[in-house]
Amino acid sequence: MSRRAKKRKNLLIVALSFTAVLLICIGVGIYGEKSPSVPESALSSEYTTEQIITQTTAAVTETKPQPTTVKPTNPTAGKSKLNLGSIPKFKNSPYVEVNGNVPQFSASEKKHRTAYESYSPLDSLGRCGTAFACLCRETMPTEERGAIGSVRPSGWHTVRYDCVDGKYLYNRCHLIGYQLSAENANERNLITGTRYLNVEGMLPFENMVADYIRETSNHVLYKVTPVYSGKNLVASGVQMQAWSVEDKGSGISFNVYCYNSQPGVKINYSNGESALSGGAQGTTAKKSTYKKKPAVKSKVTKVVKPKNSRTVYRTPSGKRYHYSSTCGGKNSYEVSLDEAKKSGLTPCMKCGK
Amino acid sequence: MIAALCLDDNNGMMFNHRRQSRDSRLIANLVDFASGRRILVNDFSAELFAEYRVCVDTDFLKSAGCDDICFVENEDISSCLDRVHTLVIYRWNRKYPSDKRFNLDIVNLGYKLSEVTEFSGTSHDRITREVYIR
Repeated sequence: MSRRAKKRKNLLIVALSFTAVLLICIGVGIYGEKSPSVPESALSSEYTTEQIITQTTAAVTETKPQPTTVKPTNPTAGKSKLNLGSIPKFKNSPYVEVNGNVPQFSASEKKHRTAYESYSPLDSLGRCGTAFACLCRETMPTEERGAIGSVRPSGWHTVRYDCVDGKYLYNRCHLIGYQLSAENANERNLITGTRYLNVEGMLPFENMVADYIRETSNHVLYKVTPVYSGKNLVASGVQMQAWSVEDKGSGISFNVYCYNSQPGVKINYSNGESALSGGAQGTTAKKSTYKKKPAVKSKVTKVVKPKNSRTVYRTPSGKRYHYSSTCGGKNSYEVSLDEAKKSGLTPCMKCGK
Repeated sequence: MIAALCLDDNNGMMFNHRRQSRDSRLIANLVDFASGRRILVNDFSAELFAEYRVCVDTDFLKSAGCDDICFVENEDISSCLDRVHTLVIYRWNRKYPSDKRFNLDIVNLGYKLSEVTEFSGTSHDRITREVYIR
């Protein structure tokens, strides 16, 4: 072979090698990215027959505010698995710890440093799924909560019992509370929950997280999963997990299951129907479907209250007082009408008419 | 010794080894209350007093003098209660989860309520300060 031909052959080999390397690089560039069509949860769905968590593989949608830096993952990622069979029966304690009270967020979820919220779409039975958020001051409300009565969560019944605080057995329970998310009538964030679940179970945890964020301006990962048995329309309970980001959980860290129960009331979770349970203290309690606000004279109490000492409800920051605790929202607490007026509050435009 | 602590509506103090809540105005209130007296805290509570001069001591309950104020979050004060002549209880007026509670019946232990003050915090609408003296 001549010297020229040898040089040509070498050049051809170099050119072919370069082309091959280039093609390999392009291939890695295209196929090296994670396929968005395969949710992480689908790869880790190892549920037992007893354990049924809804929406585990459902795609999620995002609401305000949009993430800016870290691409959000599926809210069911983090491989949170809850076996309903492992949860002890409700014994008048609003919650039990799960996984030694250690939250199960994935490494990618723990990278969140920006405001982010996602709510699973309703399933074929109209039930909510996991709600996941990276909470911070930005996600918290700047105004009083709006009306949520237009939403009718799965299994909803408007029913009253005298033995229930505030009378109404069911509340439209925010998965991620309004004080944390500023979400009003978002059907993907509201479930049929007992007053007990709302006030004794979930609210204390929401309070703890809200205080922490207000005082530190840090971020908190927050995931709430309603847990349904089979095709029940009412959740047996909710799993709540939270973890403070900047201090790596030293401020906030919990993993609990809150019971969707109400002491004294037996609930049919398949459809939301209810009745007084046999051993209930409030044996004189009456069940009635709500139609109209009861007149004051129908109250069982015999305590004669002076004029204007009627009980109303207010929130810590609201400018209005409410005649109904439901209208006042989760954060509302009782005050006398006198006290409310002295504080400069005015009647709510909805329940105060 | 003066012991100061924060309680929720269920007399809860801690949950999962973490404080239930915090409020910078409460800390400022305690510093005002101290009016020059020494405030002692342990390592856990030190971060709350970053803007103030306090004494950080692991054995703060043992080393506190008669006029010193111990801010107690994750310690049990029942063992040193005989040295506590004044209890300052801050009430959050909210409910939080709790697995560590203050279960002492302070009235039966001879403490008498001498002062109640209310103020708004930075993240709490209403904080109540109760001072009990024995």
